[in-house]
Amino acid sequence: MDSLNGHFKISPISPAAPGPLYGQIVEGVKREISAGRLKPGQPLPSFRTLAADLLVSVITVKRAYQELEREGIIYRKQGLGTFVSENGAARNRDARRREAEQLMARSIREGVEAGMDDREIVRLAQRIIREKRGTQP
Amino acid sequence: MNDLAIEIRGLQKSFERFQLGPLDLRVPRGAIYGLIGPNGAGKTTTVDLIMGMGREDAGAINVFGLDHWKCEAEIKRQIGYVSPDLSYDSWRKVWRAIHFVRSYYPGWDTQYCDDLLGKLGITWDDKIPTLSLGARAKLALVIALSHRPALLLLDEPTLGLDAISKREIFAQLLSAVQDEARTVLIASNTLSDIERFADHVGIIHNGRLLLEGNTADVLDRFRLVDCTLAEAIRPPAIKGLFVQEHSDNRFRALVDVHGEAMGWLREKGATNVTATPVTLEDLFVELVKEG
Repeated sequence: MDSLNGHFKISPISPAAPGPLYGQIVEGVKREISAGRLKPGQPLPSFRTLAADLLVSVITVKRAYQELEREGIIYRKQGLGTFVSENGAARNRDARRREAEQLMARSIREGVEAGMDDREIVRLAQRIIREKRGTQP
Repeated sequence: MNDLAIEIRGLQKSFERFQLGPLDLRVPRGAIYGLIGPNGAGKTTTVDLIMGMGREDAGAINVFGLDHWKCEAEIKRQIGYVSPDLSYDSWRKVWRAIHFVRSYYPGWDTQYCDDLLGKLGITWDDKIPTLSLGARAKLALVIALSHRPALLLLDEPTLGLDAISKREIFAQLLSAVQDEARTVLIASNTLSDIERFADHVGIIHNGRLLLEGNTADVLDRFRLVDCTLAEAIRPPAIKGLFVQEHSDNRFRALVDVHGEAMGWLREKGATNVTATPVTLEDLFVELVKEG
């Protein structure tokens, strides 16, 4: 969307999902941060812009930003706008690490169920690391 | 300083087949308030009474802290009004309807009116009777917005419109009210039309307001609770407990977690409790069913 300069776009929110709408905006922003699409220091859209894009009221967006601010993920600078905080990035790293761990646990479970022994699994992991590091220095 | 745009206390109005109230309703300044209820719930009667169409039997209506009868002219200058009954057909052309209405409003903003017409694809020379239903609704919205009213009263503003026209109208409405100085009351029987942006909600049924408040707070207050009770008992009538299913000691209910119901469940030794958040739709259906 033009109004967001293409930097920021959260997934569509739906009133059909349970709980208040602002919660979905909070989750959407967190997801953007943990996926690295929103970086520390980067500005977030204004209340109005985001409200217009999502077709929700300004009060809903305000509430979501207040929640994110309270958690230390974003901060407001008077007159300048709202930005992703360094803390937000730290949370981003933690969240990504947790996600990596979950994915690895799942791969290992698959491997075990497929009858692989520990050594085979480790060897497979090493091969994948070599391949990934090789193609993406 | 009163921070309410509309304050209704003890409002009553009787008709042969319908009784409104006693009804209390509070719309904070800057809110987008969705007054939702099934057909015949009393939405239009309420809006009409605010607009001074018909006289209440009892109660008081204040708009921006002013009595709606004593200060009628002052209040109406600050209100923009849209209703499906409102027809501009007799002016034939768009420009004639606009000329007529704007003569009543010293604050009419000609430039803004032109902008809105352009954005909604209406021209000054359009013939009103040949406009589509959607275009007429858009014209009504332009006319209601062009004097930049502090309060918009919209009674079923998108009744009978297709999804695209609705979206255009609501997008325009939202961009018009985003300075937060403006208050909007939208009466609608279609929850899905307004649940996205109604930050305050009032559920009306059989002339009574069943629930009112900030939408997020209201949703935070209710949970759909599944649990097992220590023994099979028939749930008593408790305020804020809406039983959906129960067989033996298995139990499912919509619960107001601020009410007495949670205490009752604990007392009855509820185990295996899951409490899931609800949608406005869940709440609406349940309250209207009970009420």
